[in-house]
Amino acid sequence: MAEASELETLRNEVRAWLVANAPATWRQESIDPDAFFRIQRDWFLKLVEGGYAVPHWPAEWPGGGRSLAEQKVIYEEMARADTPRLLLSFVSTYHAASTILECASKEQQERYLPAILKGETWCQGFSEPGAGSDLAGLRCRAERRGDVYVINGQKIWSTIAQYADKCLLLVRTSNEKAKQAGMTFLLCDMKTPGITVRPINQIHGDEEFAEIFFDEVEIPVSERIGAEGDGWAVAQATLASERGLTLLELSERMRGALVRIATLIRDTGRLDDAGVMRDFGRLATSVDATCALADQFLAWRIAGEEQVGQASLIKLRYSRVLREFTLLGLRLDDMDAQYHAPITFGGGMETGNWMADFMNSYAWTIAGGSDEVQRNIISERMLAMPREPKNWTIQGDAA
Amino acid sequence: MSDDSIGRAELQDAARKAFGEGGLGQDPATIWDLIVEMGWLGMTVPEELGGLGLGAEAQGVIHFELGRILAPGPVAAHMMVIEALVKAGRQDLIERAVAGELMTGSLRFATATEAGGTLSGTLNAVPDADTASELLVVTDSRVLLLPIGTNGITLTERPLWDKSRRLFDVTLSGVSADAGVELAGSNTASDLVAALKAHLLFALSADSLGGAEAALDMSVEYLKTRRQFDRPLAMFQALKHRAADMKTILASAEALLWTHASEGRTAPVTQPVKAGALKAHAARVYHAITEEAVQFHGGIGLTEEHQCHLYLKRATLNEALGGGADLWEEQAGRQIAAALLATA
Ligand SMILES: Cc1cc2nc3c(=O)[nH]c(=O)nc-3n(C[C@H](O)[C@H](O)[C@H](O)COP(=O)(O)OP(=O)(O)OC[C@H]3O[C@@H](n4cnc5c(N)ncnc54)[C@H](O)[C@@H]3O)c2cc1C
Repeated sequence: MAEASELETLRNEVRAWLVANAPATWRQESIDPDAFFRIQRDWFLKLVEGGYAVPHWPAEWPGGGRSLAEQKVIYEEMARADTPRLLLSFVSTYHAASTILECASKEQQERYLPAILKGETWCQGFSEPGAGSDLAGLRCRAERRGDVYVINGQKIWSTIAQYADKCLLLVRTSNEKAKQAGMTFLLCDMKTPGITVRPINQIHGDEEFAEIFFDEVEIPVSERIGAEGDGWAVAQATLASERGLTLLELSERMRGALVRIATLIRDTGRLDDAGVMRDFGRLATSVDATCALADQFLAWRIAGEEQVGQASLIKLRYSRVLREFTLLGLRLDDMDAQYHAPITFGGGMETGNWMADFMNSYAWTIAGGSDEVQRNIISERMLAMPREPKNWTIQGDAA
Repeated sequence: MSDDSIGRAELQDAARKAFGEGGLGQDPATIWDLIVEMGWLGMTVPEELGGLGLGAEAQGVIHFELGRILAPGPVAAHMMVIEALVKAGRQDLIERAVAGELMTGSLRFATATEAGGTLSGTLNAVPDADTASELLVVTDSRVLLLPIGTNGITLTERPLWDKSRRLFDVTLSGVSADAGVELAGSNTASDLVAALKAHLLFALSADSLGGAEAALDMSVEYLKTRRQFDRPLAMFQALKHRAADMKTILASAEALLWTHASEGRTAPVTQPVKAGALKAHAARVYHAITEEAVQFHGGIGLTEEHQCHLYLKRATLNEALGGGADLWEEQAGRQIAAALLATA
């Protein structure tokens, strides 16, 4: 671990850099998707330039190779400076990068990773209307014709697909074997003919995710990660990064956002209300515990001691505490939270628009494998509790 | 020896070997002798004062393991007194304490009053006062150590629901303050008391999570073996999901415990509010898990012969010892809000 004094030096560097470079008026400006896109893109490129965009990447990459303690310092300072949450590059710097680093060929790594640092954005095309929690049931079809795969089918709930340059695409190449064995992982250029993207509005009004339709879309075989039929294993690398790695930054941001609740308590004159302070103290401690678990998870990962289910523990903990966080804000903001206020695009999980934040917190209890799916993983894989029997009938179902 | 040279896992291993895996129902004297023999009472005593010189992490491991086996006895109170002796630099007394001569004090931070050279008041929640030789007495301006046999001290045992601990009300009336030694005077007493609170609250947190781990392990094992409806109960998702939730809150509380301990490596955690918030959190987790444990066990879980209730009772006592969640969560809320608003 870096010396305390080195960390202090880093903290001062980051802080000074943020004073000079962090966007100041983005919250006021981020009221429509175009502004969102511009602010997000510019801020990401600035961060790359400053060397703070991808502290979690390996050391060979510019800005990478930061220790756990250093990453925490960077995230803490960004939260403190109230910078935009990097939503546009979220999937590219975490999901895509982890998948490519862990599973792709050297040639693919050299092609895609530098492009990410130049601002190329990715989306994740896993879920389908018929395959959500039961992802292995997906049907989007890829048929091999010579040097290309031809894709037909649909993906849904794909975060920021409407802005993405590339897509992590999980498709079915065979129906013959077990469901998992017939899946293949492709890297898809979103500008390929035959792709249509339709944004979907979420309950708080953000077009966060989209549907993607594939009609005779051709993807070169060279864009495959792993062998044909290995898609499920590759997808696990994507999901593990989504469930674990992202949460160091997000839980630090949540800790940084406690000041929003403290400010709300002060501004509504309740700093002397014992009940309110108790709820706040309890929440702050749960937030601390979540951050501690995220740290622990990363430490396990760095030491090569990661075990199945640990990422689920942190994801489930984070999603529940985030819900509690937004609900306390909602309650304390009382009637004011009920008046419709425009949302801040890319504002993160804790914008202080409490009703919107509360609704947005479902993103973490549903996306990336719902809370219930994480509970299945924890109970079956960590606690070794048996799975339910596969065969079932419901009385009255068509025989 | 530093924290780095003897790892958490190593120490945990040693403790599990010493206490035995299924160490429940052990005789208090046996456990006490074991702890003395291993030198663990001097765990956090600096080497130059004759201890092992280990930090909060090591202290945490011992209390975690004691909690796991529902160890009877006054170890937490005794180690709190040793902490006071270390801070006061009383090597003579430390030697006696580390050798196993029991020194005890209030697990509720009760205070006595001093007037005209005499001490009076009732200290509650004092473990094993009847077998102790010395008593820690805190007044609003001093910290003293008194022989428990001093004239004017009377002991009343207060039987608890939690049979793994024995607590006493210790009443002082007209006790001569000169009978004791002063560990801290008016300049240093409040700092020492803060440090002792932080120390004890941390120990209670570790005890809680050790107990919680054991109760959860036991429950999951039970669900796997007990069959109803022609299948193990562990196959029912309603129960699996509750077990997963318990595992999750336990894992994050444990991460918080060790983070707290490692923060104490560089600068000893003498901040009672932070430790109080940790204790409130850990005891809440312990309570939640043991409440579920009884339910998971059905009828057998409600019987005296089964172990479930032992954990349940210790969990609720841990919630009260060192001050309850209402106290610490409010104080933590005030302190954290003030700090955030000062820099915002
Ligand atoms: C904000 C957001 C962003 C997303 N972004 C992406 C993305 O970028 N790319 C992508 O591919 N997907 C994305 N998703 C999709 C997400 O992964 C799925 O929504 C999720 O896996 C759940 O699938 P479903 O919506 O079909 O719900 P269903 O699977 O139909 O589940 C409905 C309910 O049943 C419960 N349930 C299902 N199965 C079980 C079970 N076995 N045991 C107990 N309960 C069960 C679920 O927990 C849920 O409560 C996103 C979703 C959201 C909300």
